[in-house]
Amino acid sequence: MRVVNFAHGEFLMLGMYAAFWAFTLLHADPYLTLVAAVPLFLAVGWGSYALVMRPIVHTSHNVQVFTTVGLSIVLQNLALVLWSADARFVRTSYYASVINLGGAVLNLAQAVAFVLAVAATAALFAFMRFSYTGKLMRATAQDRSAAMLMGIDTDRVYALTWAVGIACVGAAGVLLAPIYPVYPTAGLQFVLIAYIAVVLGGLGDMVGALIAALIVAAVEVVGSYTIGTSWKELLYLLLFIAILVVRPAGLFGQRGSEALGM
Amino acid sequence: MRPYAGAIAFFAAVGLAPLVVDDAFLLDTLVLILVWGCAAGAWNIAGGYAGQISLGHSAFFGLGAYAAALCGVRWNISPWYGLAIGAAVATAAGAVIGFLSNRLRGPYFVIATIAVSQVLLLGAARWRGFTAGSEGIPVPFRAGFWTLGIADKRIWVWIVLVLALAVYLVQLYLERSRRGFQLAAVREDEDAALSLGVRARRLKVAAIAASAALTAVCGALWAQYIGFVDPLYVFSVDLSVRFSLAAIIGGLGTALGPFLGAVLVTTVETWLRAEFGGLGSHLVGLYLILYGTALILMVRYAPQGLMGWMRK
Amino acid sequence: MDAKVSILSVRGVTKRFGGITANRGITFDVAAGELVGIIGPNGAGKSTLFECISGFYAPDEGEVELDGTRLTGLSPDLVCRRGIARTFQRLRPFQGMTVAENVMVGALTRTRDVRHAREQAHEWLRRVGLLEKANAHARTLSTGQRKRLELARALATQPRVVLLDEVTGGVDQRSIPALVELVRELHAGGLTLLVIEHNMRVVTAVAQRIVALHMGEVIADGTPDAVARSPKVVEAYLGQAYVS
Repeated sequence: MRVVNFAHGEFLMLGMYAAFWAFTLLHADPYLTLVAAVPLFLAVGWGSYALVMRPIVHTSHNVQVFTTVGLSIVLQNLALVLWSADARFVRTSYYASVINLGGAVLNLAQAVAFVLAVAATAALFAFMRFSYTGKLMRATAQDRSAAMLMGIDTDRVYALTWAVGIACVGAAGVLLAPIYPVYPTAGLQFVLIAYIAVVLGGLGDMVGALIAALIVAAVEVVGSYTIGTSWKELLYLLLFIAILVVRPAGLFGQRGSEALGM
Repeated sequence: MRPYAGAIAFFAAVGLAPLVVDDAFLLDTLVLILVWGCAAGAWNIAGGYAGQISLGHSAFFGLGAYAAALCGVRWNISPWYGLAIGAAVATAAGAVIGFLSNRLRGPYFVIATIAVSQVLLLGAARWRGFTAGSEGIPVPFRAGFWTLGIADKRIWVWIVLVLALAVYLVQLYLERSRRGFQLAAVREDEDAALSLGVRARRLKVAAIAASAALTAVCGALWAQYIGFVDPLYVFSVDLSVRFSLAAIIGGLGTALGPFLGAVLVTTVETWLRAEFGGLGSHLVGLYLILYGTALILMVRYAPQGLMGWMRK
Repeated sequence: MDAKVSILSVRGVTKRFGGITANRGITFDVAAGELVGIIGPNGAGKSTLFECISGFYAPDEGEVELDGTRLTGLSPDLVCRRGIARTFQRLRPFQGMTVAENVMVGALTRTRDVRHAREQAHEWLRRVGLLEKANAHARTLSTGQRKRLELARALATQPRVVLLDEVTGGVDQRSIPALVELVRELHAGGLTLLVIEHNMRVVTAVAQRIVALHMGEVIADGTPDAVARSPKVVEAYLGQAYVS
């Protein structure tokens, strides 16, 4: 879609709250909520596209930036007003459980989240690559005018693209709820990492983003071991800036795409 | 003279207000309007005139604030030096961001600016030895002009008014001068400008550096006025957004716009805080929801902002 | 004595994009005061050549020289200040500015004085026939008028050589003769021009010399007559079957 969604983190935050409220009010396990979350966030995505994004899809970068920034502010503060700034926790029964994997001790929730995330990425990749709809989305991304001339309803493609993105990040939020505290501004820290992973991997390249995310995680963990946990965020932010300076197209991206603002 | 009527009216009103207004609350609001107006105007130099939208300007604001605070707390020198030091450091940081602006465009540049401000936030919040860490620095009040320890809010209004006039005039310069025309061309279409011999890269860096320096001075004055520097606030993305919000609502790329935007944003915020502050601090989020919605609507339907509406 | 002074020389310019060679060993000279037409089917590499000359691309091999000064690999703004101006195939007026202000941006490359630049802008607008539109917003212009604006803007930088990219493209039939006449006038005034054109009638009317490109290479270089009769050119445009 060639739109950077500055409200991306806020949808993640909403996913986290969805898991929290489902857990608190309905005693639903987050993994159960996950199943309901996907269609829920597809709907939220579709709705937010129709309400906010559709009018500005073809406008300048600046308009798009500020529209999504505005959306981010609205969502953050909606959460603040409705649910207060208090950090919430989803304490499932297996919250502290660990699994032993050949010597390495992993938190169960994190491990499950990892497995599901990789599976979801693989599914998304397959969808984009092999399904008809996926081809429609890629075609529209490459050349909107040509896609329109071929009879593709680009508006519906964009709505779907957007909705799928929101569904993914909402689901991610649900998966993260058992692991991290939930509060209105929780989105920012995650979304920054997401941007870094996407830019490092190369814009528009899903596999690249996955690999890059693993790299960022590795840097974060190595950093926290070598220079201490309080500096690890600084480390990957500096890494980010360094990449932007040295190879803005990312590891797998096309050279020059970042200069076009794509 | 007519096209400047609005500006003359605005600055005259602000300049004369302290002579007739006694209420500390109103004077305080006026000082804040001016500070945010200056910050928005400084942001406008990069965002409006040079077309380099940044959401990391709090980096510069924070640098200025810390410079002033550290001058008083650590080095025991006048915070006026803090203004100069903050401006100098911010200019260097601005040059870095300017360099990035020549490698990235659009949203990716915006993300980079956010990253830079967050690096500074984390640095300030963690570097206890230098900046007292995340607790922030209380700025000592030592009475006197040289130490910028001024209790009389009326004098603060005039001090910040001087900065506001400077920011206004710099923007005006960008509308009329050779550099300004070239910068406008770069903003409209960088490649076309290059083909006409415009030194686009150099101009963008210069605009961002100037914007950075002025923002830092705002931060330094603000720190002295408020008396406390909190890294989580002063380097926050929220603050950066606030600068751009005022500039956009007022009129992007106009000299008076940022100040008008600051008037609107600050008065609404102050009023809402007074009205709803008692009901529970989280309801204060209401005015931000208002802003977010205003931003979404304005940027699409009223891109010229208040200045555009006034010109009709 | 007919010593033709070569003002622009292109030597062996080669430009590759991944697997595609858009320009291969392009070599030709342009004499001072000449009007050279560049023709070729779509994809022949004409626009790429312009980008290489004007500094938007750096050629992988080869050199571009203006009056002995090396231009190869210089940034576009430097190339302009050295004396080459260009127009764009896809018109790029500065939409938020007036017509006069657009031209002033060009003029300000040669003068520091804003008032002087404004006078010069008006003068150029007069020469291209757009003076009455001086205070109109650039976005209100028709295609033909935008072409003139782009021309005036480029000329305001006082170039030695002007690269015109498809000056009649997208212009309605009735307006073409006036545009062609303008180009002829400018040429008659001593300007050196390099013109990409698809419209063969326009090219043969104004060009003293034509360089034909096909698949990134120069396949003909000579007078319009000679080039039109060259078998390679006929083949490139119309296919093998037409080569008699």
